[in-house]
Amino acid sequence: MSDLRPILTTEKLVMQFGGVTAVDNVDFSLREGELRCLLGPNGAGKSTFFKCLTGQLTPTSGRVRFDGQDITGWETHAIVGMGVGIKTQVPNLFDGLSAYENVRMSARRKHLRPMAKEKAEEMLEKCGIAHLARREVGLLAHGQRQLVELATVLAGEPRLVLLDEPAAGMAGDERDRLADLVLETSRRAAVVVVEHDMAFIRRIAKFTTVFNRGAIFREAMIDEIMSDRAVQEIYLGKQADVAA
Amino acid sequence: MDYTIIVFLEILRAISWLVILAAGLAIIFGMMKVINFAHGEFLMLGGYITIMSHNAGVPLWISMGVLAPLVVGVFGIIVERLVIRHLYGRIIDSLLATWGLSLLMIGGVTMVFGNTVQGVSTPLGSLSIGAYQVPGYNLLLIGIAVAMMMAIWLVLRFTSAGLIARATMQNPDMAETLGVRTSWVYMATFGLGSAVTGLAGGLLAPLTGVAPSMGVNFVAQSFITVITGGASMIAGTLSAGTLLGTISQGVTFATGPVYGDAALLLAALILLRLLPQGITGRIFRKSL
Amino acid sequence: METSLRTDPGFWFMTALGLVLLFLGPLFWDLFQIMQITQYVVLSVYVLSLAYIWGFGGILSFGQAAFFGLGAYTFSVAAINMGETTFPFVLAFAIPAIFGAALGYFMFYGKLSDVYMGVVTMVVTLIFWKLINHTAGPEYAIGDARLGGFNGIPSVPVLNVPGDAQAWLDPGQMFQVFMAILTLLYVLLRILIASDFGRISMGIRENETRAALLGYDVRRHKVIMFALGAGIAGMAGGMWATYQTFIDPNVFSLEMSAKALIWTMAGGVGTLAGPIVAVVLLQYLSLKLGEMHILNNNFILGGIMMVLVLLVPKGGLPTLRDGIAALRVRGSVRRSGTPGKVAPDV
Repeated sequence: MSDLRPILTTEKLVMQFGGVTAVDNVDFSLREGELRCLLGPNGAGKSTFFKCLTGQLTPTSGRVRFDGQDITGWETHAIVGMGVGIKTQVPNLFDGLSAYENVRMSARRKHLRPMAKEKAEEMLEKCGIAHLARREVGLLAHGQRQLVELATVLAGEPRLVLLDEPAAGMAGDERDRLADLVLETSRRAAVVVVEHDMAFIRRIAKFTTVFNRGAIFREAMIDEIMSDRAVQEIYLGKQADVAA
Repeated sequence: MDYTIIVFLEILRAISWLVILAAGLAIIFGMMKVINFAHGEFLMLGGYITIMSHNAGVPLWISMGVLAPLVVGVFGIIVERLVIRHLYGRIIDSLLATWGLSLLMIGGVTMVFGNTVQGVSTPLGSLSIGAYQVPGYNLLLIGIAVAMMMAIWLVLRFTSAGLIARATMQNPDMAETLGVRTSWVYMATFGLGSAVTGLAGGLLAPLTGVAPSMGVNFVAQSFITVITGGASMIAGTLSAGTLLGTISQGVTFATGPVYGDAALLLAALILLRLLPQGITGRIFRKSL
Repeated sequence: METSLRTDPGFWFMTALGLVLLFLGPLFWDLFQIMQITQYVVLSVYVLSLAYIWGFGGILSFGQAAFFGLGAYTFSVAAINMGETTFPFVLAFAIPAIFGAALGYFMFYGKLSDVYMGVVTMVVTLIFWKLINHTAGPEYAIGDARLGGFNGIPSVPVLNVPGDAQAWLDPGQMFQVFMAILTLLYVLLRILIASDFGRISMGIRENETRAALLGYDVRRHKVIMFALGAGIAGMAGGMWATYQTFIDPNVFSLEMSAKALIWTMAGGVGTLAGPIVAVVLLQYLSLKLGEMHILNNNFILGGIMMVLVLLVPKGGLPTLRDGIAALRVRGSVRRSGTPGKVAPDV
């Protein structure tokens, strides 16, 4: 069966900064078309893991394979060209340009001018921000910026979508729309979502990976994860730290 | 044997020279991540003060070692208060502003003193090594470079001012929350860096004479040394000075002084292609 | 924001102005005025090289004079050796562009920060200046052309009609050719800026990470832009050499690099028309001040530069535009970004 083929795998992936190991020996595998949630307390290495996947960081050791191809150490643009799209934790946008221009820039890479325009407009519509198309994105609210970035990422029609805290800064109805959007996207592409918002996670999550201290801590269905004492402890432990 | 010693001394002098030229700039860059584009004109100012005060009857060592650093240091503090202070966090703008200052100073000094070279004879005579003569002044330069680096290291390592400086270098916001007035630290840094540059200018005066546009001849070497060294004041300046001084002296021996600078730049470009943050961006990262 | 050339009155106005001056100017001006205005035209081509890469790609070069000088020397040496000027003129663009591509490769693929880039580009200029100053001896000659050290190269050929090496242009014709080049360059740059390539440049200026995350090769793109800017500056250098009919190492001077920065800042980073206006106004101003023999030229330049950075960081045209907009929208507070200013990343 074709959808059982892994689209993304990492083998013994390690990322060290000086003496700190941010990603520690991670063996990760994602099937084509799968929707995976990535949980873990702050500092567990999720964002660093994403950066290793997209070539923003070059892993200290280990391999990354996308669609059967070893992409370890590739340039970011080349990896993206293979069909990877990422929404970063802090929105990365062209602040001086309009929302439409942001999305179009992404669509234009694959499509000719008229098609790119159509595609960009369609994406803005789909993400519920068509009314913001002409606004300069540097002036938008955080939740709106998240949606613009999501539309930008999706307009590139990636086969693997990485979403780093997409629901942060969003109001309730925006969040629900986002969940629908993620579910819909996962019908056409593999999706990995990092999120802390539990209500959001419950709406979308199936198979879930938990990171702790740079390593994979648990991998199981979401219900199992939620009732796992050890998982609760790493979260609570972290919260206790914050409270103190 | 004698020739080997001479070559060795020449290389040592070239290294010391780069260290002396770049030290003031490195102090400011290491602390504030700002490159003072008027560095060459601060050197020029130090040179002028040395020669002017010497001509007015002040002993050469006093005008070179005390007056030049003092006046240029005070001038640096004034510049920091009037210009640099307003441009914190706007690094490109601070480059542009100091470049403007550089042109302003060249023009200003030309208007006051005219576009002529003035000089003073080089003190200290020379020493014989076998059949060769070595200018005593060269040995002085080597000694001063060593003393300068030692002094900066001792201050940073063992004094409370040094501790504040290191803290600010590591994390200015954190230092501020601990009660350090970083704006004063920056002012003092800029003043100190300027003073060291003033001293370098004073040392330069007997060698080359002074003229309004003399700075142009030295900034290339200074800039290359600092950016190649990276953000650590001592380790960066020393490692880059050693590497580049050796290269430029080697090329000078081979082809004459014209291509020395070009070789420096080429070496620096290749090095920066490999280590974009300079030598201390990757190696000796934790050093001062 | 969105740029549609067809509906931009500024674009049509500047293009029309260029054409009007091109055809009608020589009818009304005397020889001295033509020479003076030709100088502004050449320097306008030069300033566009920086206005384009800085304003529309966020690439700040402190060393445009390196390319300007390289173009000037390339043109002079080639023209003296070949006895005609058409191919040398092409070389004045090509050689600096190739050099710019090589330098850009080191800087952009090395991922140098802004400060390092500024220092490297400036030092490159200095080194050219130093090297060329040391070429006084007769052994420094390329073919028939002696480089001449600090004395420079005298008797650089005047432009000739392509294909006829004896048909030299008179000053009026040279003005028309240069004005045509400037107008064409302005139009082509505006078209380039409005094209997809230009939008990507703008994206890179706004956010390099996002541009790479959309699959665009940021470094290659910047090398291309930088090389293009270098070529334009080189072409201006060639124009300068044939306009003056002699050159010396001052084409490589730091003042020449600083002037490009000053004019671009004064006119406004993120526009093409502003810097051209700034060239005319500031060159005229420094001519008049220079005639009074009170203030040194460097002193004036440096003063203007500091005032611009400290007091008018957005530059003339944008400040004017914002001022007018603020008058229109009286009372409402308007937040505006600084176009072209790249966030410092050290």
